[in-house]
Amino acid sequence: MDELRSLSQRALVSPVTFSLLFAFALAAAIVAITGGDPLAAGEEMFTGAVTGSGLRNTLGRAIPIIGMALAVSIAFRSGIINLGGEGQMVIGGLAGTIVAIYLPGPGFLIVPTAMVAGAVVGALWAMLPAYGQTKLRLPILITSLLLNYVARAITGYLVRFPLSDVSVTLATTRQVPETARMPKMPIFGGVSLSLILVILLVVLLWLVYTRTVVGYETQMAGFNMRSARYGGIDVEQRTVQVMVVGGAIGGLIGTHLIIGEALRFIDGELVLSGFAWTGLLVALLAVNRPIPIFVTGLFFSGLQIGGLAMQRNAGVSWRLSQVLQAVVIVAVACRLAIRRSDRPTAEAGETEAAGLGEV
Amino acid sequence: MFEQIFDTALFDSATRAMIPILLAALGGMICERAGVFQIALEGIMLAGAFAAVAGSYLALSSGVGVIFGMAAGMLIALALAYGTVTRRGDSIVLGIALNLLAMGLTGFLLPQLFDVRGVFQHPRIDGLDRIAIPGLSQIPWVGPVLFDNTIPTYLALLLVPALWVFLFRSPIGLRLRGVGERPLAAETLGVSPTVYKYGAVLASGALAGMAGAQLSLGNVVQFAENMSSGRGWVAVVAVMLGRAHPVGVVGACALFALAEALGFRFQGNGLPVQITDALPFVVTLIALVVARKRFARLLDLTTAG
Repeated sequence: MDELRSLSQRALVSPVTFSLLFAFALAAAIVAITGGDPLAAGEEMFTGAVTGSGLRNTLGRAIPIIGMALAVSIAFRSGIINLGGEGQMVIGGLAGTIVAIYLPGPGFLIVPTAMVAGAVVGALWAMLPAYGQTKLRLPILITSLLLNYVARAITGYLVRFPLSDVSVTLATTRQVPETARMPKMPIFGGVSLSLILVILLVVLLWLVYTRTVVGYETQMAGFNMRSARYGGIDVEQRTVQVMVVGGAIGGLIGTHLIIGEALRFIDGELVLSGFAWTGLLVALLAVNRPIPIFVTGLFFSGLQIGGLAMQRNAGVSWRLSQVLQAVVIVAVACRLAIRRSDRPTAEAGETEAAGLGEV
Repeated sequence: MFEQIFDTALFDSATRAMIPILLAALGGMICERAGVFQIALEGIMLAGAFAAVAGSYLALSSGVGVIFGMAAGMLIALALAYGTVTRRGDSIVLGIALNLLAMGLTGFLLPQLFDVRGVFQHPRIDGLDRIAIPGLSQIPWVGPVLFDNTIPTYLALLLVPALWVFLFRSPIGLRLRGVGERPLAAETLGVSPTVYKYGAVLASGALAGMAGAQLSLGNVVQFAENMSSGRGWVAVVAVMLGRAHPVGVVGACALFALAEALGFRFQGNGLPVQITDALPFVVTLIALVVARKRFARLLDLTTAG
């Protein structure tokens, strides 16, 4: 009982709770100011996310959001700011799509081959900024971000010219053949099999982080790179490793989004989805821990699916969900809390949400 | 061949490409000098572009539009200043989140306020006029490129020497640099780091907001979703490459702008738009590799210790 009380007290004064309330209040105010009805919008958002086909869609959308959050969190946890999730997802996704479309063979072989191809190309793309930092001392923060625009251009060119489906007016590849599609599981009316993959990744990362030397070493590098180096950890090698794993997951998710959802690689579609950036916000809010990432990812997915329902039924643009998500992170990063502290740095342990290790 | 590519029209389009990047980069430079890592420029520019179009639409005046753009930029900058200076939050996390906030907010307000998706064009939106400076605009080559432009363009070009004087020849500039380089020493001498950092971040908000206004009311007269399309990030790189020095920053910005203008030109010659769009970013990456010895400090800042 005491434990329960202390837990609820902690939740009450937690910056995350406050930030969520703050974000919802601000969102409601924005809706009201722009001429909408915040209560109706909120109701549509909630029912849209969990009732009817909403639950299936929430689970489906959570796959890329959680996946991209895991992808960037691996680097964040080591203090490496990988903003290149988008590029890794897009370029890996196209590689997987090419395999799915052009490789002949039975589905049980094509689907895994396509996923592996996506992961490998995503990892290779992530190696560019990784080696840029370890060999040339170029900050990953900047190079990984700039490479997103290069990845957009490369994939845009490929689907517009060599890979273009000339039978339609869109700049797109051909459709992924039926045998090469990611199967759907018969739960909640059809959720992609990739959900299992994402759950496995969550469990795997949790095990690696809590039970292995590699997990410990990568986190030490995140806390303090210099002391990690003194402790005999090869920081450069770890940098490349975490970037490669993150890029591979990005490529997996990109491939899933085509062979499991869109079925065509349409120019600009993956970028527009914003999954890489939503995932990044999830990783920040969950402080890079796999299980909180899973929960937060489901929550953010629900916000977006609910947002779409709100747009249909209450006439309020679903982009409000994006505003909400960003405001939560801004508020958490400002360490806003009900019990305001005059020494914000002293309670860093408690409020380290939305921090990148010790950046 | 050479003369066919490097003509007045090319430099004219390079100037237009440069001004938004330059305005944002000068703001980033002031922050860097005050010891604040400013990576919210992309979002501030986007918010500025939206607010400028909204202001111009409401008041039928491009001047009001520019003021709206600057105010919106300063509002986001205020959140950054409060978070990093007062609350001692992580400037990188805040910068990323504020960029995404600007993306979401402009994407939300566009259909909500103007009932359009993607692009907002309207005869009510008053664009920035080009004002030819009598005499100077008659100079061959340089005249039409530099002296027949919008007010934010002249302001950006004047700010380069003005900020040099401010930073290196004025007492306030000296104190600002002191706050950035030796915050403790500055504080001991009675210079409040809080005041100077707030000032620097707010100034960068006003400048990057104006950059957005130039983008949406000067270069074109419309707002398109995500129309800043990476220019704010290029400005962040320009600050790094230019070592936060006005002359270096303007040089870096000119390089990127020339790449953008060349890309545009090659597009006319049949090169696919996807390739030419990537040109400024490829040039930026190459410039980073060439000048890599310059930013060890940023690397230390972004890799935890």
